[in-house]
Amino acid sequence: MAISLTESIQIGFQDFWTRKLRSLVTIVGIVLGTMSIIVILSLVNGMNEETMKWMTERGGLAKITISNNWEAKNPLNLPNYFSYKEILLIKSLVPEAEVFNANIYLRSNFKYGENTTFSRTIGAFPDYELVEEWTADRGRFIKNFDITESSNVIVLGNTIKEELFGSKNPIGKTVTVRGQQLQVIGVMKYRFIGNSGSNLFSDNPFEYMNRTSIMPISTMINKFGQRDAIDEITIRAKSAEDAVALKNKLEDIVLNLRRGYGIFNVVSAQEEAEKMKQSSMMFKIIFFFISSISLIVGGIVIMNIMLASVQERTREIGIRLAVGARRFDIFLQFLIQSIMITFVGGIIGVLTGVSIVKHVGAFLNTNTVVDVTMIYIALIVSVGVGLIFGIFPSIKASNLDPVEALRYE
Amino acid sequence: MDYVIKTEEIKKVYNMGAVDVHALRSANVTIAPGEFVSIMGPSGSGKSTLMHILGCLDSPSDGKYFLDGEEVSSFSKNKLAWIRNIKIGFVFQTFNLLPHLNILKNVELPLMYAGKRASLRNEIATDLLTRLGLGDRLHHKPSELSGGQRQRVAIARAVVNNPAIILADEPTGNLDSQSGNDILSIFKELHQEKNTIIMVTHDKNIAKIADRIIMIKDGEVVDGDITN
Repeated sequence: MAISLTESIQIGFQDFWTRKLRSLVTIVGIVLGTMSIIVILSLVNGMNEETMKWMTERGGLAKITISNNWEAKNPLNLPNYFSYKEILLIKSLVPEAEVFNANIYLRSNFKYGENTTFSRTIGAFPDYELVEEWTADRGRFIKNFDITESSNVIVLGNTIKEELFGSKNPIGKTVTVRGQQLQVIGVMKYRFIGNSGSNLFSDNPFEYMNRTSIMPISTMINKFGQRDAIDEITIRAKSAEDAVALKNKLEDIVLNLRRGYGIFNVVSAQEEAEKMKQSSMMFKIIFFFISSISLIVGGIVIMNIMLASVQERTREIGIRLAVGARRFDIFLQFLIQSIMITFVGGIIGVLTGVSIVKHVGAFLNTNTVVDVTMIYIALIVSVGVGLIFGIFPSIKASNLDPVEALRYE
Repeated sequence: MDYVIKTEEIKKVYNMGAVDVHALRSANVTIAPGEFVSIMGPSGSGKSTLMHILGCLDSPSDGKYFLDGEEVSSFSKNKLAWIRNIKIGFVFQTFNLLPHLNILKNVELPLMYAGKRASLRNEIATDLLTRLGLGDRLHHKPSELSGGQRQRVAIARAVVNNPAIILADEPTGNLDSQSGNDILSIFKELHQEKNTIIMVTHDKNIAKIADRIIMIKDGEVVDGDITN
C-alpha cells in the first residue's frame, strides 16, 4: 500500500524542479555552510600535515629529548646537568634505544704546520651522525672504540679542513689543539643551503657547521679536562610506538638520579605529535561548530520556505489525500523534498569548497588537504539539517484535514 | 438486501465555539451496487458533508456507515486512506488536478498510491485516457486543456483503480452546457458498465439522469431513500 522511496524521491525531484528558483535560493545557506566546513577542515588538515612533516624532519616521531626544566623546583640545589658518569649510566640502562647522543663543547685554535684557524668543537657520541643526519664524507666518523679509549682523534669541519690543509689530504695528519696532538680521521660533509653550494664565500646559513669539528666526548673530558656538564640528551627509540614506553622509562631514571625532583624534562616527539593531533582535533571541532551556525541559519530558512510551501500546496495535499495518499506518504514527500534541497546544497557546497581550497590554497601557498571523510561529514551534516528542519513542516503537511485542504483556495 | 452503501442514523456536528452546528442530523442512505443516484438539496442542506462522509474524507460524529460490507466509521486514518484509494473515486466541480503534473501523471496518481509499478501505471492510465479521447494529450498539463477535457481527466483518475463507488460533486458545475452534457454521457456509460455512481447536484435537470434522487434538507434525508 505504501508508495516506495523511489516514488517519493521522484515526487521530491519534480517539486524541486518545478520550483527551481526558490529551491536554489533556499540552498544558499546550506551551500555556504558545507563550503566552510570543507575549507576549514582542509586548512586544519594541511596545517597538521605540515607539522608532521616538520616533526619528521626533526628526527621523526621516535625521537626523545632530555633537557633542563627551568621551571622545576630545586630546593636541594641538585645539579641541573648530567655528569659524564651519569650519561654512561643512563646509556647502559636503555639498551633498547637505537640512537643515543649527548654533547659538550670546546672552542679553540687549531694548528697544522704554519696554518692556524679557530673552530668550535663538539664532544659527541658516535650516534651524533644519526641524530644530525650528518657525517664524514671523507675518512670516517667517531666509533665506539674512540669513546672507550678516549682516542686523540678529530673529524674536521669542511671549512676548517680547507683553512688548515688546502687541497692536501688531511686524513692521518695531526693537528694541534690546546697543545695536544689529534689525528684527523675524517672530514664532515660540506653543508649549505640554497643553490650556491660551490661558492664558499657566499652567505651560507650553515657555514657555522662547516666550521665545527667533532671529537669523542670522552676525549674532550679526559684529555682536555672540559667540564662534563651535559644539559641535553637525544635518544631515538626503535619506532614511534616504542617511544612512549622508552620515554616513561627515561623519566623514571632521571627522577631517580635527582631524588625525585623533576629537574629534567623528558619529551617524546610521538607524544608531542599526539598532543598536537588532539589540539588540532579541538580546533576542528570548534571550527566545525562555527561553520554549523550558517548551516543552522540555512536550516531555519528551509523550514520557513517549507512551511510556506505546505501552506501554498494545501490544496495539492487535499487532492493527494482524496485519491488515497496516507498521511505518511505526505510526510515523506515533504521530508524528502527538504532533504533533497539540503543534499543538493551540500553537493554544491562541497564542490565550491573543494575548488576554493584548491585555488586559494595554491594562491596563498598554503598546504591544504581534502580527504573523503570530510566530504562525507559535510554531506551527512547537510542532509541532517534537511531532516531536522524538514520534520516540522512535513508533520504539519501530513496533519491537514482532507476536507479543509480540498476547500483551501 | 444487497447494498454497496448503507448509513444508519449518521450525524455530523461541528463545534463552532459556543454553538454546535448540526450539518447532518440523521441521514439514512442505502445504495445498491450499480445504481446511479443523485443527491439534491439547497446549499447548506448538508449534501456536501454527506458526500465527504460517504467518500471517507470525513467521519461521522455518530451513526454507522457500511461501505462495500465494511463498517468504516471506526477505521484508522491509514485504512481510510486505503478506502479512498481503492474503493472510492472522486470527481470534483473544480476538477482538482495537480497543475504541475501532466494528465498522464495525474491519472497515475491513485495507482501510485496503490503501489502499482510504474510500467503498469503508465499502461493503465494511457489506455483509459485514450478511451476518453485524450490519447493525443497525455503529456499536456491540465492548464493546456479545456474544462470538459480536464473533467474527463478527473473522471479517468476517479475510475482508474476500479472503485466500488464513484462520487461526483457538481461535476458539470464549472462547464458550459455542451461539455456538461458530454460529461454526463460519460457518467451514463459508466453506469451502463455497472459502476455505482453518486452525484451531488443542485440542478434538477441534471439530477434527473440518475435512477433515483435523494433529497436532503436541513441535514436530513427527506425523500428518495428507497432502493428500486
